[in-house]
Amino acid sequence: MKGGIKAWDGFVAEGIPEAGMAYFPPGTHLEEMIGLAWLLEDGSRKFYESLAETIEEQEAKGIFQSLKRSEERHKTTLLKMYEEFLGKPPASGFPATMISGQPAGDVMEGGMLVNEALKWSEGKPLEEILELSMSLETNSYDLYLKMVQKTEDDSLKEVFKILSEEEKKHLEQLTSLFVKKR
Amino acid sequence: MRILDYFKPVSTWSAEKIRKFLNQKKSGEYNLVDVRQPQEYEQGHLPGAQLIPVGELPNRLAELDPTKPTIVY
Repeated sequence: MKGGIKAWDGFVAEGIPEAGMAYFPPGTHLEEMIGLAWLLEDGSRKFYESLAETIEEQEAKGIFQSLKRSEERHKTTLLKMYEEFLGKPPASGFPATMISGQPAGDVMEGGMLVNEALKWSEGKPLEEILELSMSLETNSYDLYLKMVQKTEDDSLKEVFKILSEEEKKHLEQLTSLFVKKR
Repeated sequence: MRILDYFKPVSTWSAEKIRKFLNQKKSGEYNLVDVRQPQEYEQGHLPGAQLIPVGELPNRLAELDPTKPTIVY
């Protein structure tokens, strides 16, 4: 790339090469992997839902409601993948019943605790909150792309490919919102 | 590396051309390599980039799929 990374005009992911992979340790079964991804998507949904409820400005409220709906669609995609790859719908209690050692507190994509992200967002302008969201979603995209490379199991590889494509589309949506608000 | 490899052309693409390429391609259809040092990678890297510091490249080429286009920065 001409100019190296300094020429890149866009969001970059942060962290060491293994960042985030602790959520998907080697040997994790497919159903647990999908459950973990579902939990992260649900964490992001809770973040956007809370912002939509607390922010008064109508346009901002609408943006966060839209982002919340995107996360709900991601969760639906994950449930469909579960059924497609495992041949049955998830059991009741999904995903809690299949994940060992759940994190303390809701975690959102990018690895941040939801309550920490909400605390940080208090009083911040919309543009900065969108910037935080993009940064976290970029890290999530980075993680799924790296998991495609790292995973040897074909089914798991396919799940991460689908997830990375979903994150790419979500980032495009966030980017256009961010550019409009600049 | 064979002597003829030195004469193979290597294209230089603008960041914008690379952005379009990455947007069009799906994961697994290309190699994306960051050849900087670990602390530089940690501060910020393109999503999905593999870290292979330039000094380690000769010994780690096997990690890249030679059938796919490789983007390096």
